[in-house]
Amino acid sequence: MIPGSEAFVTRPVDPEALIRSLPSRLQVHTVSQQAIDDLDPLTYEVVRHRLWSVTDEMGETLKRMSGSPIVTDANDFDFTINDEAGQLVQVGLYNTMLIGAIDLALTWTLQNRAVNPGIEEGDMFLCNDPWVGGGLHQNDTVVFQPIFHDGKLFGWTSAVCHEPDLGGTAIGSAPIGNVDVFSEALPTPPVKVMRKGELQHDIVDVWVRRSRVPMVVGLDLRAKVGANTIGRQRLKAVIEEYGPDVVKAVMKKMMNDAEHRLRHKLLSVPDGKWTATGYQDQAFAGDRATHKVVLAMTKTGDRLLFDFTGTDPQAGVISCTLGGCRGGIMLAFLPILCGDIPWSASGLMRCFDIIAPEGTLVNATFPAAINRAPLGTGWMIGNLVAQCLSQMLERDFRFRDNVQASCCGTFDFACVAGTDERPKEPVPFLNVVMETVAGGYGARPGRDGINTGGSFCIPMGRVPDAEVTELLYPLLVLWRREEQDSGGAGRQRGGTSCAVAMTPHGTSLPAHVIMSTSGKATAQNPGLAGGYPGNLGHDVIVQGAAVDAMLARGVIPTDLGELAGEADATQCFATSMLSPGDVLYMNCQGGGGYGDPLLRDPELVARDIGDGLISMAAARDIYGVLFDAEGRVDAPATDRLRQDMRQARLDRMTIGSIIEGRVEPGEGQPVDDNLVIVGDGDRARVGCRHCGQALGDADGLLHVGAVEGESSMAGPIVRSDPHHFVDEEIGFIQHICPGCGTALHTSIAPRDGKQTISGFALA
Amino acid sequence: MGYVIGIDVGGTFTDAVALRPDGSMVSAKTPSTPPDYSQGVLSAIDLLAAELEMPVSQLLNETDHIAHGTTSSLNALVMGKVPSIGFITTRGHRDSIFIMNVEGRYLGRPQHELQDIMGQSKPRGLVERRLAREAIERIDRAGNVIVPLNEEDARQVIREILAEGVKAIAISLLWSFRNPVHEQRLRELVHEQDPTAFVALSSEVSPRIREFARHSTTVMSTQIGPGLKLYLDDLEGRLRDLGLRGALLVMQSAGGAIAASEAAASAITTIGGVLTGGVVGCAQLAKKLGHDNVIATDVGGTTFLAGIIADGEPVRAAQTIVNQHPVNVPTLRVDAIGSGGGAIAWLDTGGNLHVGPLSAQAAPGPACYGAGGTEPTNTDANLILGILPETGLLGGLRPIRKDLAAEAIRRRIADPLGMTVEEAAAAIYAVQNAQTGDLLRKIVVESGYDPRNFTVYAFGGAGPAHCAAYSAHIGVANVVVPLGPVASAFSAFGLASSDIVLIREHSDPMTAPFDPARVEENFARLEREVMEAMKRQGIRLNRIVLHREIDIRYGLQLEEVTTPLADGPVTAASLEACVEEFEQRYARLFGEGSGFAGAGIHAITFRIRGFGLLETHPVFEPLARAVSPDPSAALLETRPVCLTAGKGFVDTPVYDYHALRAGHRITGPAVIQVPTTSVVVPDGMYGDIDEIGVLSIQTNSNVTQFQPKRSVAG
Repeated sequence: MIPGSEAFVTRPVDPEALIRSLPSRLQVHTVSQQAIDDLDPLTYEVVRHRLWSVTDEMGETLKRMSGSPIVTDANDFDFTINDEAGQLVQVGLYNTMLIGAIDLALTWTLQNRAVNPGIEEGDMFLCNDPWVGGGLHQNDTVVFQPIFHDGKLFGWTSAVCHEPDLGGTAIGSAPIGNVDVFSEALPTPPVKVMRKGELQHDIVDVWVRRSRVPMVVGLDLRAKVGANTIGRQRLKAVIEEYGPDVVKAVMKKMMNDAEHRLRHKLLSVPDGKWTATGYQDQAFAGDRATHKVVLAMTKTGDRLLFDFTGTDPQAGVISCTLGGCRGGIMLAFLPILCGDIPWSASGLMRCFDIIAPEGTLVNATFPAAINRAPLGTGWMIGNLVAQCLSQMLERDFRFRDNVQASCCGTFDFACVAGTDERPKEPVPFLNVVMETVAGGYGARPGRDGINTGGSFCIPMGRVPDAEVTELLYPLLVLWRREEQDSGGAGRQRGGTSCAVAMTPHGTSLPAHVIMSTSGKATAQNPGLAGGYPGNLGHDVIVQGAAVDAMLARGVIPTDLGELAGEADATQCFATSMLSPGDVLYMNCQGGGGYGDPLLRDPELVARDIGDGLISMAAARDIYGVLFDAEGRVDAPATDRLRQDMRQARLDRMTIGSIIEGRVEPGEGQPVDDNLVIVGDGDRARVGCRHCGQALGDADGLLHVGAVEGESSMAGPIVRSDPHHFVDEEIGFIQHICPGCGTALHTSIAPRDGKQTISGFALA
Repeated sequence: MGYVIGIDVGGTFTDAVALRPDGSMVSAKTPSTPPDYSQGVLSAIDLLAAELEMPVSQLLNETDHIAHGTTSSLNALVMGKVPSIGFITTRGHRDSIFIMNVEGRYLGRPQHELQDIMGQSKPRGLVERRLAREAIERIDRAGNVIVPLNEEDARQVIREILAEGVKAIAISLLWSFRNPVHEQRLRELVHEQDPTAFVALSSEVSPRIREFARHSTTVMSTQIGPGLKLYLDDLEGRLRDLGLRGALLVMQSAGGAIAASEAAASAITTIGGVLTGGVVGCAQLAKKLGHDNVIATDVGGTTFLAGIIADGEPVRAAQTIVNQHPVNVPTLRVDAIGSGGGAIAWLDTGGNLHVGPLSAQAAPGPACYGAGGTEPTNTDANLILGILPETGLLGGLRPIRKDLAAEAIRRRIADPLGMTVEEAAAAIYAVQNAQTGDLLRKIVVESGYDPRNFTVYAFGGAGPAHCAAYSAHIGVANVVVPLGPVASAFSAFGLASSDIVLIREHSDPMTAPFDPARVEENFARLEREVMEAMKRQGIRLNRIVLHREIDIRYGLQLEEVTTPLADGPVTAASLEACVEEFEQRYARLFGEGSGFAGAGIHAITFRIRGFGLLETHPVFEPLARAVSPDPSAALLETRPVCLTAGKGFVDTPVYDYHALRAGHRITGPAVIQVPTTSVVVPDGMYGDIDEIGVLSIQTNSNVTQFQPKRSVAG
C-alpha cells in the first residue's frame, strides 16, 4: 500500500457513531425509536409506496437521459435513496453489485467533507474512487446529493452508471497488461460537481477532459444530475405532504423491517458452515496461473459471516476493493435470499459480517489495478456466495425453490474498434460486443436453468438485436444462437449460453479487437449436487476465414468448422485484428446443472434433442440416453447404458476408505439431491439417498470416491485444452457415491484444489 | 343515415349499444358465450332489437355498420390456445425468438415480480423449435442483397414445415423492412405448395427495425389470423343471413376500426380493441363535456385499466407486451395498474399491509360473495365501511354477506395487526386509494404531463367508490363519473362512435438534416398503401384524414418520440420544424435539458395514420331538471359509513341515482347508489348532476407538488 492512500479507504461504520462525529454546523434530521414505533400501518404503507415511486422515476430519468448503450441497453447502472447517515433505504433493480458500494461513498463523504468544503444544500458530489466507494471500478461513476429540510441534513440520493471510457492507457480504461492503477482511469474522491444548485463547469471540464468519449461522459453526467434533481424534487414533495418525521420514520422502519424479516428467515434454517472455492484463469495478458477466491460462509442464528481467508493475493487487473467485495456478495445475496423482502439494503446488510484479508483479490490495496473487478473477482464472489447460500437453503424444503446452481460466471468482454466506411465520410466506430451478456442461468432442483437468461448481477439486462448492431457498426452478424451443449448437464439442465459470430461488412480496413475474460480453463459456473458446470467460455478469432468469398458464393456459414483459416481459442486477455473476411466468434458461459445427469428423465433429454439444445453425443455420453430407429427413447437400452456408466465410474474411482453400513434413505433430513442425514447429535450419519450407502459419520467428513481425468472428460462443455491457457494441471474431478456410483459433485478445477460437498469436507 | 351498432365481447359479458339514426342510444348486456362468441353477439343484437321494438332483420337491414371489439384473440394468445404454426427467418438467426434479447425473462412483468428474480422464467418459445426454420438469404442494412434467396433449399424447408400439418407460416427476415423481396418470394413458394396456407410477412405486419419484436409480432399475428378469419367469416355470414346490409368492422388496438374482411391479415392489430374501446368512448364523452385532458380509469372486478387523453387525443404507444413478448404495432396506451375490486389485502411477513396485485378473480371472488373466497378484498372492505349496500350488488341481483367479509378481514388483517375490523377496512380503503394515486401519477408523468391539469373519468363497477380519493391524491380537481344508460356499456359506446383507422409504417433510419426527397418518397408510398386499404374497407366514408408522423430520437439516447410532420410538401423547412417539435416533445416528456442534440438526431420510423371518418353523432338523452339543487327527494336512507380512518363511522346520506335529476348537488360525505356501482363523495367535496346524468365531483384537492414543466437540469 502506498503511504497516504489509506485516507481514501472506507470501512463500514456504525451510523450513529458517524452522525455523532459530525461537526455541529452540519445539523442532522433524525427521529426517535418512539416515532418509528408509533407509525401506523396505513401511513407506513402509503409513504413507503411513494418512496418507491420516487426511485422509480429517478431510474427512468437516468436511463432516458444517458447517452451510453451501457446504460440504455445493458442496464449497467443503479440509483438509491438514503437516510441522513447514508444508509440505503431504497435501491433500484439494475446492477445489484453497485448497491454494495454506494453507502461507503456516503460514509466517506460524511467523514471527510463535512468540515471542508462542507456538505450543504444544493451540493452534488461526483466520485469514481472504488476505495472510497460508489462503484466497483473507476468506470462506475456515482453522483450523489445531500437533501436538506429546514436546514437539517435529511437524507441523500445517488445515481451511478458505468462510463465507457475515462482515460488511462487503454480504450475503455481497461488495460489488460500486468499494470497498476496508474495505467487505468484516475480515481477521483468525492468532489462537488454542483454547488448551491449550480453545475461547476471547471469540475465538469476536468471530468470530461480525461475521456476518449467526452460527449458521452458529459451526457451521462447530466443524466445523473438529472436523476438526482428529480429525486430531490419528488422526495421534498413527499416530505411536504407527510412531514419530515413521518417520512424519516418510514425510511428507518423500511430498513428495520427488511432486517427483521431476513433475520427471521435465517433463524429458520439450520446453522452450519458452507465453503466454496473459485478460480480465475489468468489475471492479465501473458499470465499463465490461476487465482483462487476462497469463501467459508457460516450461519449462526440470525447472522451470516462471509470469510474469505485463504484467498490468493491481489493480482493483475482482476482484484476488487472492499466495496467490490460487498458488491459481489449483494449480487447473489439479494435475489437468492431476499427476493421476497423489500431491498432496503442497509437493513439487509446488518445481517452479515465480512472477513476480507487486505492485499488479497477480495480487498486489494492501492495501487492495484482493478478495472476488471466487477467482471472478475466481484462476479466470482457473487457466484461463490450463491453456491454457499444455495447449499444452505437446500437444507430446508421450504426454501428449495431458491436453490440454484451457478449462472454464467463472468462477462466475456470484447471491444471492436475501427473505421466505418459506410457513410460518405468514413467515421471511427467502437463496439463493445453485448451478446455475451446472454449467459445461461443455473439449474434448480425443480426446473432447468433459463436458457440465455442473461447476467445474474444485472437482472434487467438485455442484448441488442442483430439489426441494431448492424445499423450502428460495419459488422454482419453471421449467427446468433443458443449454443448446443452449453448448458451444464444434470438431472435438471443448466441454461444454455449465447454464441455470436460476426464479420466486418462496410469497411475495407482491419479492426482492432481487445478481449478480456476468464473461465476458459477452469469452470466458474459449477453445478450443484453432482450437476456438471455449464460450458467454459470460448472465444475465437478466425483470421483468413474468407467469409466474404463464401457469401459471394451464396453460402452462409453457421459453424466455425465451415470456415477456412485457423480457429484457435483466444487467450483470456488478448489483442488481435479482425480483417474483412475474418470472423469473431464469442460464446459466454452456460449455467451449471443440478443433480447427476444419469438421473435426468430420458424424455426431457429427448425433448432437448428435438430442440437442438443438446447433441446426440451428449445424450449418449453424458446423460446415458439411447434412442431407437424412430428417434424414441429406448428405455431398456438406456437403463443398461446408465448402469454401465455408473459401474465404469466405480471401476475408475479412487477412495481412501469406505464406511461400512447403510442408512435408511427414506428417513432423515435431505441435504441435497443425493445426501441425507439420519439420526442426530453424535449418532448422526450421512448417507446416499439413492442406495443407502453410509458416507459420513459424526466427524462430519464424507467418505466418497473420486473419478479424475482430463478436463475433456466433462464432454462438449470443454472445447480447449486447459494447457492452452495456464501451466497448472486442470482436470475433471467427479466425486461419487461408492455404493451406487451416483455423482455427488462435479468440477473442472486445479487437480490439487480442495473440495467440499454441500457443506461437508472430504475425508 | 341508418343505425350503428357497437358490440364489445368481453371475457364475461357482451355489451352492445345501438345508435338510432337521430343519434339517440339503447344498450344491452348479455353473458359472453365462449368458445363460440358469436352466439353472445347475436343475443346482444336480439336484445337491442327488442329495446328498439323492431324485428332483428329490420334492424340489421337498416344498419350502416357494426363495430365489433373482441377479446377472443387476446385470450387465445394469453391462454396459449393457438394452433402450431411455422416460422421462417434468416439463416443463422432462428434463435432470436428464443434468446428474446434476454429481456423476455422479465418483459411486461409487474413491478413486484421484477425483484423476484428467482421467480422469473422465459416462456417456452413462441414456436416449437422444430417448426422454426431458416432460409438461406441475406440482406444488409442498406437493403442490398448479400446472399440471394436459395429457392431450392427454401422449397425443402417449406415442404418439411407443411408436412408437420401446419396451416399457417410466419415469415420474418433480417432487414425485410428495407427490402421485402425475399419475404415476398417465400410467400409465393409457400403458396406453390399450399395455396390455402395463411402466410404473414413481417414487412407487412410490422415493418420496423429490431428483428426480435418484428418476429414476435409477425408470429403472434399468424397464430391468431386464421382463427380470427374463421370467426369473422362465420359471424358475417350469419349476420348477412339475418339481413345485415352494412359493413362489419373490427376494433383495433390503435383505437379505430377495420373491415372484418381485412382484419385477419393484420390480426395482431385487433388484440387490444376491447381495452381501447373504453378510451375511445371516454374521448367522445370528453369532447362533449369539453374536457381536453382526461385520465380514463376503468375499474372492474379483476382489472384496473388506465388510459390518457391529452389535448383531446388519446395517448399512443408504439409497443405493447403480450406473454413477455413485444408486439410492435401502434396502439392506444392502456396500462393495467391494478386488480380492481377483487384485489386482495394481505400482510407480508413483516406485518405490513398491502393491497393487490393478487386478485380473487371472478371466481371465487371477494369473500362477501360467499362463493368460497376467504381472502379480504377491496370489495369486502367497502362493504364493511358501509360504502356498498348490504342488500347486494347489481340492484340486489348478487347477494353479499357482510359477516363473511368481516371474518376475512378479521382473520387476515385486523387480528394480526391488533385492530378492529372496521379500522382494518378503513386502512385497506386508504392504502388502495393512495397506491392507485401513485400508479396513476406514474403513468401521467411518464407521458409527459402534470396530473393537476387533468380530469379523471371513472367507470366500471369498482371505480366510483374510490375515484374521488385517488384523484385528490394526485391533485386532480374534477372527477367525472358517467352514469345513466350509457355507463354500463361504455366500451360498446366507444366502438359505436369510432372511425376507420388504418396505420402504415416503415423504418428507414436516417440522420438529420433529413433528405426531403427520401422522406417525401416514404410518405408517398405509405399514403398510397393507406388509400388503397381505405378502398378495400367496403364502407362509405365521409372524409379521409391523414396524419404523418416520424419516430425520432437523439443519436445516443434510447427513447424514440413520435412527432407529427405538417401537411403539405415535404421541404427542408418543414423537416426542420418537425425536428424542433421533436426537441420540444422530448423535453416535455423527459425533462427540460434532458435531450442531447450534439449526438445527432435520427429519424427511425415513418408512419401514416389514416382516419376514414364515419361521422356518427351520438346524442345523450337529457335528464329531467331538478327544481332545486337539494337532492333530498332522492334520499334512500342514512346509514353509518366510514370514509376516513381517523373519523370513524359517520351517519351518511345515501342517494338513489334513479331519483336524481339534472342540477342536483350532492354534498359529501355521501354515497350514490347505482345498480351497477356505488359512488362515494367524500367529506369536504361535492358533486353535481348534469343535464345528461353525468356526475362531476369537485375534489378541492390542493396538492401542489408538481411543477407544470419538469426540469432535470438543476
